[in-house]
Amino acid sequence: MSEEKRIRERDVIIETISRLMIPFIQLFALYVIIHGTKGPGGGFQGGVIFASSFVLYLVVFGLAAAGKRFPEGADTALMSTGVYIFAGVGLLCILVTLGTAEYLNYGFIPLTHHFEENRALGMDLVEIGIGITVMAVITEIFFNLVWKKEEEKGKGKEEQR
Amino acid sequence: MKPISVIALISVLILGALFMYVAEDIPAFGDPKSAPNWGVKLFSIDADEELEGNLNHGIIPVSVSDKIEGIGLPLPIKVEKARGLEGEWDAFIIPGEKYYNSTTIRFGAAPDAPKEQKYYLIIKEGDTIDVYRYAPVIRYWEEGEHETEVPNMVTYILADYRSYDTLGEVTVIFTAGVSVVLLLRRRGKMPK
Repeated sequence: MSEEKRIRERDVIIETISRLMIPFIQLFALYVIIHGTKGPGGGFQGGVIFASSFVLYLVVFGLAAAGKRFPEGADTALMSTGVYIFAGVGLLCILVTLGTAEYLNYGFIPLTHHFEENRALGMDLVEIGIGITVMAVITEIFFNLVWKKEEEKGKGKEEQR
Repeated sequence: MKPISVIALISVLILGALFMYVAEDIPAFGDPKSAPNWGVKLFSIDADEELEGNLNHGIIPVSVSDKIEGIGLPLPIKVEKARGLEGEWDAFIIPGEKYYNSTTIRFGAAPDAPKEQKYYLIIKEGDTIDVYRYAPVIRYWEEGEHETEVPNMVTYILADYRSYDTLGEVTVIFTAGVSVVLLLRRRGKMPK
């Protein structure tokens, strides 16, 4: 009996609706990150929206399916990738000017011929880094908490038997 | 009714009244003349015709620059009327930071002539002349969009002017994620 109950009940309506919604949530998250400099939005907000799509996937399809879609190794790697992008953009300013510019002075990255546009593009890169880190960390926290909970529940049932 | 709940009710009421009393005096969007929003008053000196004439002709009076030097702030290099108003003047300094001209960018070359920055506000009020220092926010408001070509003020302050702070914030979030991994993911791997 307990073995049967532990297999999750599947609901067609919820699964179909979330399968439809998750791509749009992710698209909206990317929109918020990319338009962080042009309108309301930014890396933190977009990252949280992106993470919410994975949270929805986990709630609907369970931990095993979500772990297959977004493996923990990729999660851990992305977590540090965002910080590396942020710090790397800062370091790039020093490297391309051979030490003339300060750390995180985006205007000196030779992307365009205008100092101001370089600053805007540097800000975009930094927002992408922030978004990746926030997305990975929120997903990581939620996945680990759910995993811990399920593990404890399973252990309690084994002891009862 | 228990006595402790009566005491709790009274203290909640007192705190609420105190909050209303304090909050009544706060303007809806903060005091525009408070130090973080607008500027700090440095000192005031007695006004006379000569001082005013000097300021109107763009000459910094010796009495003003002496007092500024005494405080230890950067000396103004020029002064002009603020927003065309009578009795208000802006004083400019040369900031120590590097700024490249927007039309040309030469890597490794010496920066162009430094840009002047609005720094002091001098106001004549009655018989005295007050000298204020502008808050950094004024610079962000007026120059930010022109300097970064980003219309979103929150983003250009957060990711450009205050980018060290944001790097620290991202590192804090990263540390939270790493500690969750270290504390919770102890035994084995996640089920696949």
